[in-house]
Amino acid sequence: MRISELLRTRKLLVCVGSGGVGKTTTAASLALSGAHAGRRALVLTIDPARRLANSLGLSEIGNHEHRISLPDDCPGELWAMMLDAPSTFDDVIRRVAPNEATRDAIYANRIYRSIAASFSGSHEYMATERLFDVVQSGRYDLVVLDTPPVKNALDFLDAPGRLARFLDKQVMKRLLTPHEEEAGFLGGIVAGTTAVVYRLLGHIFGEAFLGDIAAFFSLFKDLYDGFRARHEAVERLFADSSTGFIVVAAPTEPSIEVANFFFAELRSRSLPFAALVVNQVHHASFATPDVEALMGARARELDAGVSGPLLARLGAAHSRLVALAGLEARRVAQLRGQAGRGVAVHVVPRMREEVHDLRSLAALHPFLVT
Amino acid sequence: MTGDASALFRSRVLFVTGKGGVGKTTTAAAVGRVAAATGRRTLVMEVDNQHPSLPAIFGKPAAHQPVEVEPNLWIANTEWQPALEDWVESIVSMRRLVRLIMKNRVVSLFLQVTPGARDLVMLWRVSELAKSFDLVVVDMPASGNAVAMLSVPLTAERLFPSGPIRACAEALLAMVARPDTALVLVALPEEMVVNETLETLERLQAGMPTLRVPIILLNRASMPTLSERERSLLRALEREFTEGVAVEVLEAGAWEEGLEAATGEALARLQEAKRPVIALPSLPRNDGARRVAAQMASALARGAGLRVLLRGGA
Repeated sequence: MRISELLRTRKLLVCVGSGGVGKTTTAASLALSGAHAGRRALVLTIDPARRLANSLGLSEIGNHEHRISLPDDCPGELWAMMLDAPSTFDDVIRRVAPNEATRDAIYANRIYRSIAASFSGSHEYMATERLFDVVQSGRYDLVVLDTPPVKNALDFLDAPGRLARFLDKQVMKRLLTPHEEEAGFLGGIVAGTTAVVYRLLGHIFGEAFLGDIAAFFSLFKDLYDGFRARHEAVERLFADSSTGFIVVAAPTEPSIEVANFFFAELRSRSLPFAALVVNQVHHASFATPDVEALMGARARELDAGVSGPLLARLGAAHSRLVALAGLEARRVAQLRGQAGRGVAVHVVPRMREEVHDLRSLAALHPFLVT
Repeated sequence: MTGDASALFRSRVLFVTGKGGVGKTTTAAAVGRVAAATGRRTLVMEVDNQHPSLPAIFGKPAAHQPVEVEPNLWIANTEWQPALEDWVESIVSMRRLVRLIMKNRVVSLFLQVTPGARDLVMLWRVSELAKSFDLVVVDMPASGNAVAMLSVPLTAERLFPSGPIRACAEALLAMVARPDTALVLVALPEEMVVNETLETLERLQAGMPTLRVPIILLNRASMPTLSERERSLLRALEREFTEGVAVEVLEAGAWEEGLEAATGEALARLQEAKRPVIALPSLPRNDGARRVAAQMASALARGAGLRVLLRGGA
């Protein structure tokens, strides 16, 4: 399906790909195109760096939905948001906690504060939750998600699952009450093992920490069902036919390798792979001409002093462009083959200027939407 | 502005990071080759990468255990599970007991899902490897994630008043603060990359003031070569020739001119970092990873004023 159609029919588009291939720019451009197609569009990044603001030409976008002003004749809306993990974590707790006392006790818990504030991974844990919220809110017709620039980027899809497992009642019960009898001979061995393991955990983590952990989990146990329900809902959302995954790549060897990994992952997870965008592609329509014959006479009239070196440089630059364009065309063909049938491939040429404001984002529009 | 890269090659532990796509792995490999050529036993390691990139550069697979790829040079792709087992063993010191612990579903799940546990164990693995090499070059995740990973020992120190994790966190903080531990930021001459580089540096200085960041490497730099007069002639020609092949030739020239200008701007902006910046030349994009790393190594060695013989270099 072409992107123009995806923009009209899908509710969630997820951009995945390696770093440096223009993923954030593509996501922002898709949302902008969605707005021009009359949709209320939100672009959302779970990238810890500030690159979304950069690509929209803004100095800062916070953890709230920020409206980007567009010309009056634009029929839709463009919104942007970046995720700030700690407050997002707090937001989710506030929503999932059964009562204020539990919520406040969690906020005050030492382990919670550390995990929420500084452990890596909490970004991904909470990002999917927040994504789910905005998709469910009904405030947007289209949400475009920009994913983190890690090679194992589909990990973020598993984040709610990991959190749900972390809070699994059965696991926690075993961890917190290791001496509990389990029936039968085999059960006895398991229980015995667990007791040994528990003592070792006490040795490794320290008794005080195990106490903290116990407090943490007993606070969280009431939240488990809520988390699991949300996790399952997020999984359904990603696999839904109103969602589309867009693999973003550049015509370089490492990027092709990562793109192939995504093709395989999306297939094995039965996720809706919708389109491939190949960014930063060089193009040459002509073979390198005799530059001297072409413009030598005029160049000498203009400035005979430097015309020789400049013309030589121009010839060399063009032959470098021809070589690069040829190589990249082969790589694009290779990517097209690997993406498989039924996947629309959009080739976006290397832009002359760096894309970092609405005007230059709009320049990408024709390549993505036609 | 150019700088002294020789400080890099006196380090014992070197973390390499930068925005995604800046060439971190290639840079780490190039640093490793130069260090090895100076006679230091050097390891270049990736951190639990599902798709290690070092094999394409060195032509040998990268496994958890270091593999020698050239004289004095080893590569590895540190894996989480064996690193974790080694770490637990360093605490309970009985291999059989370690197996028992790791086989326990509750424990393995607990460790897998505990945020930060992975990062802590990976950093511990770096500190262990540093005992058997003269230099360990760590190809870190992209900058945001690298900062998070490096801050885990600080968090662990706050969280654990005593015990083995506390001791481990303290040892890692000591490693990070050592004068021969450093972090290298890799940048590209692009506005967004330069922004992220400066931002990462700021975050590192605020969050981890003890970690040295002695140098910034600017990859794919096109040092300005066109003179003012050549550029004005190019502008004049652009006005004269407005169709056909001439336009494409002029655009190719303007494209390279743009890259040179971007390099100039990046070097100027990176002065804010108040650190030496070493510009590594842009290399033909159709070269394989292996040749790019080799040529980058030559450029680095030149930048550092090191006279070394690099195998298979440019």
